[in-house]
Amino acid sequence: MTTAVAPPLLEDTKLGPKAGGFYRRQNIWTGLGFGIFLGFVAWVVSHATIQGSNWGSDMVVTCTMLGWVIGFNVGMGTFNAPIRWMLGHDQTHEDELYAAGVSQGSSRYFKFCTDHKVVGTQYLVLVMVLFAVGGTLAMMIRTQLITAHSSFLDPQTYNAIVTVHGMVMIIATIIMVSGPFANFIMPIMIGAKDMAFPRLNAMSFWVVFSAVPCLLATFFLGGVNAGWTTYAPLSVQAPPAMDAFAMTIIVFVVSVTVAGVNTIVTVATMRAKGMTMGRLPIFTWGSVVGGALGLYAMPAFLVVMTMMITDRATGTSFFVPEMGGSQWLWENIFWIMGHPEVYVILIPPVAAVLEIASTFARKPVFGYKVAIAGFIAIASLSIMVWAHHMFTTGWAPNLAGPFMITTELISIPTGIIFLCTIGTLWRGSIWTRLPMYFVYLFIWNFIIGGVTGIYLSDVPADQFFHGDMFVTAHFHYTLLGGAMIGATAAVCYWFPKVTGRMLNERIGKVAFWTIALGIQVTYFGQFWEGFQGMARRIAQYNPQFQTANQMSTIGAYILMTGWIIFLYMMLNAWRRGKIAPANPWHAKTLEWKVPTPVPLENFVVDPVVTSDPYTYGEGVPDGQVVPEFAPTKEPELVPAGSAASGEPTATGGTN
Amino acid sequence: MSFEAEIDKIEADTILSGKPFFSRPSGKIFLIWLPLTIVGVLIGLYAPHHLLPVLQSPEGGDVFATIVFFTVLAAPVAALVYAISFYSLIAWRHKGEDPDVPPPDAEPQRENGPMTVLWLVVSTFLVVVLLFWGITVWSAQQIVHPNALQVNVTGQQWLWTYSYPGTGVETRNLELPLNRPVQFNITSKDVTHGFWPAVLGVQVDANPNVTTVIRTTPNKLGGFTVQCSQLCGLYHAFMNNKASVVTPAQFATWLQSNGANRISAAVAAGTTPVAATTAAVSS
Ligand code: HEM
Ligand SMILES: [Cu+2]
Ligand SMILES: [Cu+2]
Repeated sequence: MTTAVAPPLLEDTKLGPKAGGFYRRQNIWTGLGFGIFLGFVAWVVSHATIQGSNWGSDMVVTCTMLGWVIGFNVGMGTFNAPIRWMLGHDQTHEDELYAAGVSQGSSRYFKFCTDHKVVGTQYLVLVMVLFAVGGTLAMMIRTQLITAHSSFLDPQTYNAIVTVHGMVMIIATIIMVSGPFANFIMPIMIGAKDMAFPRLNAMSFWVVFSAVPCLLATFFLGGVNAGWTTYAPLSVQAPPAMDAFAMTIIVFVVSVTVAGVNTIVTVATMRAKGMTMGRLPIFTWGSVVGGALGLYAMPAFLVVMTMMITDRATGTSFFVPEMGGSQWLWENIFWIMGHPEVYVILIPPVAAVLEIASTFARKPVFGYKVAIAGFIAIASLSIMVWAHHMFTTGWAPNLAGPFMITTELISIPTGIIFLCTIGTLWRGSIWTRLPMYFVYLFIWNFIIGGVTGIYLSDVPADQFFHGDMFVTAHFHYTLLGGAMIGATAAVCYWFPKVTGRMLNERIGKVAFWTIALGIQVTYFGQFWEGFQGMARRIAQYNPQFQTANQMSTIGAYILMTGWIIFLYMMLNAWRRGKIAPANPWHAKTLEWKVPTPVPLENFVVDPVVTSDPYTYGEGVPDGQVVPEFAPTKEPELVPAGSAASGEPTATGGTN
Repeated sequence: MSFEAEIDKIEADTILSGKPFFSRPSGKIFLIWLPLTIVGVLIGLYAPHHLLPVLQSPEGGDVFATIVFFTVLAAPVAALVYAISFYSLIAWRHKGEDPDVPPPDAEPQRENGPMTVLWLVVSTFLVVVLLFWGITVWSAQQIVHPNALQVNVTGQQWLWTYSYPGTGVETRNLELPLNRPVQFNITSKDVTHGFWPAVLGVQVDANPNVTTVIRTTPNKLGGFTVQCSQLCGLYHAFMNNKASVVTPAQFATWLQSNGANRISAAVAAGTTPVAATTAAVSS
């Protein structure tokens, strides 16, 4: 398409009254209604047929959860297209446009919508909700621990909260970057019109969405008292909540797997002409490596949880030692998933940090290829280190040495990533906008998380530290201080593109300093508890640990305040922030070269890619451009969301 | 930017620039790095004394030494990252009038081969040092004393039981004789627990149907707490008990007060069997 006149925007297409078929009647309400209905049917049927047998309640809970998840997705429209296809009708082009959200205004955010930008936004909101839930639970834990023998929570509730806090946060951190940004931003970055499998993309969101109620249901089914690691055999004996917990994971893994495949295939097949692998923005690489590692790790989670359900509901004994099973089998499969999983969480935000550092240092990413090699090395090594979580379990003491070696070797590629980040800042023109603040905080926190990891990987030192608050502090420095702060940088960075609004940086800086302070106080308190030898996951403790605990609790309240300010800033800007220009950071990746709000299918005219996007200061023409959208003339600005209503947009769109 | 300024900028950080070290970026970064490193090293040297409990065995001593050594080794590395990042904010931060206008592009530097190789070599070297330390310490801990005092530990929801084979003693409180090698044989009656006498610097899980073993030699008198380190259900937080390291004579007495006869108590405590035997015969 090389016409001089821009073709009309897709979202202005007038659809016939029947376009979309069933989709027209489906939205989140039909999803909820159908999910509850099918869950109820499954409950009645399983109750009637399995009642009386030993493991009846486990079967009933499993079936009910399955009924809910399937029902919800049927009600949402997840299966419409495959069902119609099986019946011999394919979706028409109009149907597809309808499913992509054409002419539905903001109601498309509550529907099965195949537009990758809608899916990304849905994920962003879900992640925020999950963090709010997980954060509330965390505050309950910290409040309980403010004194040695507090009775704010009884031990039963405390254990259930510790478990769900952990799992909610793990789910949230796994999807916090790969959900919103690998969906919304990454396809535009590579010049694609959508993800490779738009329907699977929408499915991955609604499936993980339907997993969340299963997790929260555990509170009403007796509570899971075994922590997020749900070690067997305790978890085999746990109340029926454990079945809901296992179903949550199984459903979640389906979502992550689908999303991972989608990311990889999109990058493999949907790149614009000229967008070679060596010209991909570094964030794209991070998403691909993280997604691929997820494809390795997450199935183990599904497998282990399925075995757990069969142990509980049908009487197998994989993890029951008295019947020939082994708790070490559980621990091994769990950590074969568990360690790679932390890098599934970490790699995408780190890649985003490199991307942002380059934009705000006005310099190319330092060591682009080295950083990619670093990601791949981290991912490959991370599948060989799982038993560092099992140094003190008694399983294979002879393997302690080898696993100590593989674990500490990861520090080398991790160091390389540090080199690339620092190298990008080196002699940069540091532009300290809000995203850059969080890049610095990421560096400062993550170094502490990495260093303390080395203490833990030293077997003699781990004999002291395992099961201790030191471990808790370590992984909060890496996961919250590192990964989540990196993701926060990404939120600040891409917020103008996603919402069409600018954040208020003055409020943002208040939030930033509060969060930065809160993290240090909270987790230094926990390091202190850890040095003193306080066990993790305990509801009451020896009074000698009280001062350290109070420090941590005070820090947690500071941290909470910081996040609330941050949330306020986000919501406020989303509703009535300053309208964002298409490229507020003057960045060179493609997502900034399309108008905001981004039109359906992103590019009206195909982008032209002749170099990577890091040509800062090289005195050569920008090698990643979208011809249609000449950056020289400032476009007329219109808030996000109005594109669908057919007003002129920042493209100067003709209609 | 004038040509001179350009050259200046490129040469500013090289010896060629002829500038004294401390007016070059690397010199200034060094000035930030040095105090940070010193603080880090001092923390490594002194903080563990104040933070850690009194460790009562050689394995505990290893934990202590490892923490000190790793902190001292990590301090310069972490300080370097902090120093560069602080310096970049001080020296290279752009303070334009309009915050919405980006600063001019920086001098591009896509890679620096020698620097990358140097970084790799140094970090690999550090990792090798850490591994050498860890493996040496770990293998030195693997010595098995054939005459070690045997203590059978059983975990159950939510308490520990200790029995001393040969003496018939079974208690809820752990007592150990000073300077006598001890071997814990640990198992569980129900779910997985974690046997964690923190100050002894060893721990292992208590698993149903298997026995796991840890060994140590208490070398300081004093009381401590055994905790459960593996979430094991409702009252996990309360699954701890008092323990202490006592002199062998006190230990023998304690065993007897818990029902052991004199001979077996003396054997277990490693006190002179002759005196004990006589005492036993005369009674
Ligand atoms: C240099 C890098 C790192 C090393 C050497 C390291 C080492 C370790 C070791 C040995 C443990 C087990 C401690 C124990 O239970 O006794 C551990 C726990 C953990 N690490 Fe790291 N780690 C590193 C980086 C990370 C990163 C980057 C993340 C996440 C982004 C992370 C997340 C965790 C988590 C979640 C746990 C605890 C899991 C649990 O027991 O609940 N670590 N780490
Ligand atoms: Cu790990
Ligand atoms: Cu326990």
